[in-house]
Amino acid sequence: MKLKVLNIQRFCLHDGPGIRTTVFLAGCPLRCPWCANPESQQSKNQLLYQKNKCVGCQTCVSVCPQKAIRFLNNRWQLDRAQCICCGQCAAHCSSDALRLSYKELSVDEVMTVVLQDKNYYSDSSGGLTVSGGEPFVQFTGLLKLLKQAKENQIHTAIETTGDTKWQNIEAVLPFTDLFLFDLKADSAKAITEMSQGNGERILANLNRLSRLFKEKIILRVPCIPGYNFTSESIETMLGIAVSLGIAEVHLLPYHNLGKGKYEQLGLDYALGDLSMLKKSDLQVYCEFGERLGLKVQAGG
Amino acid sequence: MAKDALHGVTNVEIKAKPPCAKPLVEQLEIMEEYTRTYKAFESEPKDIREAACLRVLYPRLFREIEPGDLFVGRFDTLPIGFGSVTSLGGVGHYCVFGKLSEFKEKFKEKQLQDRVSALEDFWLKKDLRSRFLEEYLDEKLLGFFNEDGMAAPLIAGVRLSGMMLDYNKLVRLGIEGLEAEIRQYQKQAPDNSFYQACLSCLELFRECCDTLKQQTIKTLELSQDQQQKKDLTVIIESLSVIRSQPPKTFHQAIQLVWLYAILGGIINYGRLDDVVGSFLKHDLENGVIDEETAYRYVKNLWWLIENKRTTVNGRVIVGGRGRHNPKAADLFVKLALRVCKECRYVEPQFTLRLYKDTSAEIFDMAMDCLASGATYPTLYNDEVNVPAVMAMMGVDEKTAEQYVPFGCGEFTLVGMAVGTPNVCLNVAKTLALTLTQGYDPYDGVDKSGPVIFQPLEKLKTFEAFYGEYRKLHDYYCQLSADAQITSFKFQKQSVSYLFDSILTNDCLSRGKAILDGGVRYLGGCNETYGNTNCADGLYAIKKLVFEDHKYTLLDFKQALLNDYVGYEALQRDILRCAKYGNDIKEVDEIAVQAYNDLTCCVKEAGRARGLDFFGIVIINNMANTTWGNKTAATPDGRKAHVYLAPSNNPQGGADKNGPTAMLNSLLKLDPKQHLGAVQNIKFQKTFFQENLDKIKLMFQTYFKNGGCQLMVTVIDSGALQDALVHPEKYPDLIVRVSGFSAVFVELDRNVQTELLSRTLYDGA
Repeated sequence: MKLKVLNIQRFCLHDGPGIRTTVFLAGCPLRCPWCANPESQQSKNQLLYQKNKCVGCQTCVSVCPQKAIRFLNNRWQLDRAQCICCGQCAAHCSSDALRLSYKELSVDEVMTVVLQDKNYYSDSSGGLTVSGGEPFVQFTGLLKLLKQAKENQIHTAIETTGDTKWQNIEAVLPFTDLFLFDLKADSAKAITEMSQGNGERILANLNRLSRLFKEKIILRVPCIPGYNFTSESIETMLGIAVSLGIAEVHLLPYHNLGKGKYEQLGLDYALGDLSMLKKSDLQVYCEFGERLGLKVQAGG
Repeated sequence: MAKDALHGVTNVEIKAKPPCAKPLVEQLEIMEEYTRTYKAFESEPKDIREAACLRVLYPRLFREIEPGDLFVGRFDTLPIGFGSVTSLGGVGHYCVFGKLSEFKEKFKEKQLQDRVSALEDFWLKKDLRSRFLEEYLDEKLLGFFNEDGMAAPLIAGVRLSGMMLDYNKLVRLGIEGLEAEIRQYQKQAPDNSFYQACLSCLELFRECCDTLKQQTIKTLELSQDQQQKKDLTVIIESLSVIRSQPPKTFHQAIQLVWLYAILGGIINYGRLDDVVGSFLKHDLENGVIDEETAYRYVKNLWWLIENKRTTVNGRVIVGGRGRHNPKAADLFVKLALRVCKECRYVEPQFTLRLYKDTSAEIFDMAMDCLASGATYPTLYNDEVNVPAVMAMMGVDEKTAEQYVPFGCGEFTLVGMAVGTPNVCLNVAKTLALTLTQGYDPYDGVDKSGPVIFQPLEKLKTFEAFYGEYRKLHDYYCQLSADAQITSFKFQKQSVSYLFDSILTNDCLSRGKAILDGGVRYLGGCNETYGNTNCADGLYAIKKLVFEDHKYTLLDFKQALLNDYVGYEALQRDILRCAKYGNDIKEVDEIAVQAYNDLTCCVKEAGRARGLDFFGIVIINNMANTTWGNKTAATPDGRKAHVYLAPSNNPQGGADKNGPTAMLNSLLKLDPKQHLGAVQNIKFQKTFFQENLDKIKLMFQTYFKNGGCQLMVTVIDSGALQDALVHPEKYPDLIVRVSGFSAVFVELDRNVQTELLSRTLYDGA
């Protein structure tokens, strides 16, 4: 049983309390246009190409068993339909311009890395955060990982879109200390429109989870100009938190740091040159939320 | 040869010292008089000669007090004189030839130039460092202690660096008390010239106080400023007291320590909180001064230390176990932390020892200070260092509690040890020379000494290769201990370091100067450089030659001989190997093995030669850059002339797994095996400030788990501009945004720009 792991990032400070290690898992049912980890959307492996690192040696062309890579007018080109993501090109790329989006690692292998910072978690009330993608896409592995973390007395958090079967959420409950639950829009319809996810299911799961363990939920609202970043929308979402009895909300300012990854994947970035938000842009909503009795912070 | 080598820069002066205040001819006259005195006393005992020579220099070399000074004691050094370290004047009866020829060029008249030349000729045969160079060093293996010597794998010098005197005794007894103690001993040994010379030094101290007092009275008479008049009056009163009696006030205590340190040629100031804390408490409680006055005193002391410009010295250590009156001392600690936050000087190198009783207030103040962008305090962990010093120096716990880092971070014991680092070893070069079988492509010289290597093609296992490395390595370790001992021999032939000896146990009771058997613990250390490069290189060899069988040792050899030109693929494969500093078991294990072997070998070599302690240090200064510049390619993929990894840290750009991983790697090197190692950690300012609570906890975890030291640097936006030009050099730049997975170097260039200009400052 292997997990498709995009990245294991140590010393994360914004994905739950304390010092944490965040494990990013591949696969997501949503297609949010602002997604900062586009390589995480697919459950299948993908090849990422970094133009600025490429020295043009063309080794990748010669080692590709699918003949999927070519250089045309000195430009690297990949026939993604032909590419089987065997990783030969990346293994031979001496300038590290090519990489695969995820590595397959056993739960034990992931845990070995997670455990390396255990001392830092204990002293800072930190722990493990599983993010993605949508971690529930790899439900079996996720469950196993969380179980092992709890066996090692490690605090666990899941960063989730909530778009999964309720049974999955129910199954991880005994092994999860915190849900960083994304709320991307103020209604099921709007969620579906923006993210192509199952808005009904997401809100139903949020409802159900909050009835059981509202204290285990932090609501995370990405604030995206042109999508949900209007006073009406944000205020409604804060109102949802209040109505569900959720105490804490993180408003995440839009950033475009993932933009380069779109190019590396040969994809277009839908938000173009949209400027990043500053934390100060969210201040007014933090204050609004606080008046509602919520603990609201700008940023994770 | 000596003269040429001695013209080289001895110590990188980060900031130049101000020129001597005396007219040139007067400077020349002083140096001539010094030389005449030296000659006149040449057949006398060395201690008598030293006392006589010091009388030529002082009080003459003191400068006028400057506006705003709250203590007296500015002074000049000349190209000829007496000292104990290169960063302040020179060593023993010294001549700094480079400075002397610059001095000569300032004269137009030939007759005056000839007078300088005459001095030059005389001192070439007498200057301690020249003699060490001429009579002992061997350019090939054991170079001279400056950049010029660095083609060699080892460099050695003569100096008595890092003396930390028993200032507690000084302020307890005062000058008259010290005199009384010496006279007491003298009764048992009336002919001991050492005692006689010590008394002469203390009399000289008194004369200096009197001269400075007269100078200050003159300044006072001319002063129109009310505040300055008050300040000068305090100085005059202090000098009247400390010329003889023990100090009674905070001001007097600082003034006494400061003046004594100057006469002793001392550039590190010990556990100052322990020395002056009780005076501070007394003065504050009795209304002698208020807190703001105390703050002004400390701030001015910091300014005077800064002005002395001793580059990588000026240590002031506070906090920690084994202080007489911790509560009183902590009053000084808090004042000093306030001053440190405000001043941001290169010196003093302000050092805070942490222990279980360090108050949360002090720890928070220290973190605040760092968050503000001050590079100090440097943090030391007593819970680790006290047992480590016990192990390394073979002393009991109470003694080990008096450990202090000096200079760049070497350990010594306050008032009872010599820990001077008089030899340095380039470990990266040692490994490279193993591959090239002793031949150094840097200068084409064979540096194998007596070591006979097996042909590389006969080495079938990594262990066999490592055995070859150990041959050269062990030989160099032996040489290093030899150099340390020899440097002591040279010094003790001609100097006693009288002022230092008076306040170093057990010189007075034994009636012997420090190096004549007076000091309780005679030790020292070997500064090692390129340790991380060596570890990374060893791992690359193990992996690529003996595990993957992708290359041979001969390939490595050829690559090094050609500085990787034509061997780019090998170099890239090496660079892709795991590197120390990422908490990766396989490579960290090699780093630990190389470290253990090195520490053990150096320690044993020192002990076998009769030193009380000898060990390696892995420290911060410019040598990793300058020595890197004279080091050919190394098997970690580093090309010739590139800097070596700083201190105990990963090679620049090699740590990619974040700070917890780096700290975990650092923790694997046993602190009980070294005599001081510096661990640098860097953060962007806003990131640090915004995440201070969590970073603080990370440091505490690191210390709890055996971290010995941390040198925290919080960098401003300016320093980050380079990250935009060379993003590949900054993989360790922390990108931490909620739910975002990224490594800085992998980001799109525009995003890097944006990240640097926005996110790192805003946080997310």
